[in-house]
Amino acid sequence: MIQDQVRLPLSVAIGVVMQGIRIRFGRSLITLMGVALGTAFLVSNLTGQAINAAVRQEEQSRSEVKRMASFLEAEMGPPRDRIVGVIQTGPLDENEQGLIRFLIDSRVKSIQWYNAAPETPISQSEEAECRRDVSLEGVANQAGSVLLMGSGPLPDVLTAPEPVASLFKDAAGKILACTRTPQGLASPPGVAVVELAREFTPEELIKIAEQKTQAQFRRNWITLISMVVTVAGIANAMLMSVTERFREIGTMKCLGALSSFVRWIFFFESSFMGAVGGVMGGVAGTVFSLAVYGFTYGYGLVFSSVDWVLLGVYLVLSVLVGIGLSIVAAIYPAGVAASMVPANALRTDV
Amino acid sequence: MSIDKEKLQALFVAPAAGVAPCVIRAIDVKKIYWAGQVETHALRGATLDIYRGEYLSIMGPSGSGKTTLFNMIGALQKPTSGKVYIDQVDIAQLDTDELAWLRCHKIGYVFQTFNLIPVMTCLENVMLPMAFAGLEGEAAREKAVGILDLVGLGHRLLHKPAELSGGQQQRVAIARALANSPQIILTDEPTANLDQKTGMEMIELLARLKVEKNVTIISATHDQRMLQKSDRILWIEDGQIVKAARPDEIDFSTAEFR
Ligand SMILES: Nc1ncnc2c1ncn2[C@@H]1O[C@H](COP(=O)(O)OP(=O)(O)OP(=O)(O)O)[C@@H](O)[C@H]1O
Ligand SMILES: [Mg+2]
Repeated sequence: MIQDQVRLPLSVAIGVVMQGIRIRFGRSLITLMGVALGTAFLVSNLTGQAINAAVRQEEQSRSEVKRMASFLEAEMGPPRDRIVGVIQTGPLDENEQGLIRFLIDSRVKSIQWYNAAPETPISQSEEAECRRDVSLEGVANQAGSVLLMGSGPLPDVLTAPEPVASLFKDAAGKILACTRTPQGLASPPGVAVVELAREFTPEELIKIAEQKTQAQFRRNWITLISMVVTVAGIANAMLMSVTERFREIGTMKCLGALSSFVRWIFFFESSFMGAVGGVMGGVAGTVFSLAVYGFTYGYGLVFSSVDWVLLGVYLVLSVLVGIGLSIVAAIYPAGVAASMVPANALRTDV
Repeated sequence: MSIDKEKLQALFVAPAAGVAPCVIRAIDVKKIYWAGQVETHALRGATLDIYRGEYLSIMGPSGSGKTTLFNMIGALQKPTSGKVYIDQVDIAQLDTDELAWLRCHKIGYVFQTFNLIPVMTCLENVMLPMAFAGLEGEAAREKAVGILDLVGLGHRLLHKPAELSGGQQQRVAIARALANSPQIILTDEPTANLDQKTGMEMIELLARLKVEKNVTIISATHDQRMLQKSDRILWIEDGQIVKAARPDEIDFSTAEFR
């Protein structure tokens, strides 16, 4: 019954908070900076990881393509004005697409394309002449080499040595280059089977994974510490705010303010700070890490490889975390304020 | 807790017909402050009844415990021992929200130190308790302006307390005490900073509230005019109520009880 009658005057709370922020602008600014810094740290860490991973992958892919291309070149000579056959068994990965792009860029005369899995679309946009109507028998015709690529199963013909050799009877170069380690490919007489793919050994794979988790662990640890520091900083600023307003809060309690009203004031103040500081820090952190990584890796590479949606998600996430941290930080100070004995505010020496 | 049996008996004698009901009853209220190792016995067992519509003055030398008593019967602080009833309710039984409701609706306070909110204007200060009671917006504003007019500050609505004189601040404090039309008004030296004329106006305002609205007025004061208007005067010394008298029993030329 009593609960209903003493309402929480929301507008009064907001007024008190805003006035408080205005009066103690300097310190509010410092609190704000604390939140912003914590959020910026978090967001730049997340964004940095994302950019790093994207750039790393892009670079790796580029260097992998380069490596495959130079292998191919070593076998068949420069591809310029040559004919290249392609046997596609299924969808192509980035590296294989990069290799095709490399062939086109180095002005091959034409690519004779046989698609063993017609249902998989080919995403290449071709400037070089690309004949897609080629049969498997005709794919090696006049070709300097034949590329075997795609993730699908081998066409049956390639599993026996004799038919493979016969494919190459009119070929300019008897080279079958595979971008992956082909399972069950027959070794045909007179045809060189070249593996362009580089397989990581299991030990190498474990080591890479270990390095990755280690780096991630270090980063998460630092982020966690920075968040704890942020919370401590905000809590400290809020406690100061409580002490400063001792008299004001006590007077309000004497005049009939509920403890929940007093608590509300501090939660409102801190979530307001958290929101503003979080947005500031989030934007600053994102811009900062883009700038720094752009500077180290080159802006073109960073901007082309980065996943913008992911960055947006991280930004929103960090702002939410900023608000969350501020609210967590306000729990104790708000409790102190709410449990204040009203009469203590009436003494002159406070 | 040991209470003098006789005292207790006397207190609970039903009021005679025609006598106003008791709004505040304090029984053997003691308050001890601890500052480090030092104990201060601010109240050493105060027992009193205050009746509806009464104008009660509390006198006593500085440090005698007037403000402490004021805090106890105003439900602002818990006594170390003893009981305080407000409208027959033992305030020790109330939780913090219920106490807040009581302070908000039942009692208007004029603190010795004013305790106006420095960042708020006069108008906002007076509107603050109204907001706690759920009265907001234009209605609250109108009421607050009316009250401030009543205390003669209609032309100072938008000033901050720091921009006002001590007497003006005191009047804002009085206006704020009237905000929720309380049944009980507790004032701690309400005329200390006022000149003769304004002081008299405030005393008359309180007297009028008593007469017209049957409001109970309790004030710690040394103001003779205020004492003369009271129904009853309590003399407190060293934390104990030592004397009670009607104004005609006091020699105001010496401020001595006859
Ligand atoms: N919060 C406190 N902590 C410690 N001692 C206190 C506290 N409040 C009051 N006292 C002591 O209790 C005694 C009574 O104080 P109180 O404020 O009630 O006096 P008073 O009668 O109102 O005096 P005045 O006329 O000067 O306002 C004083 O000795 C004072 O020092
Ligand atoms: Mg006092």
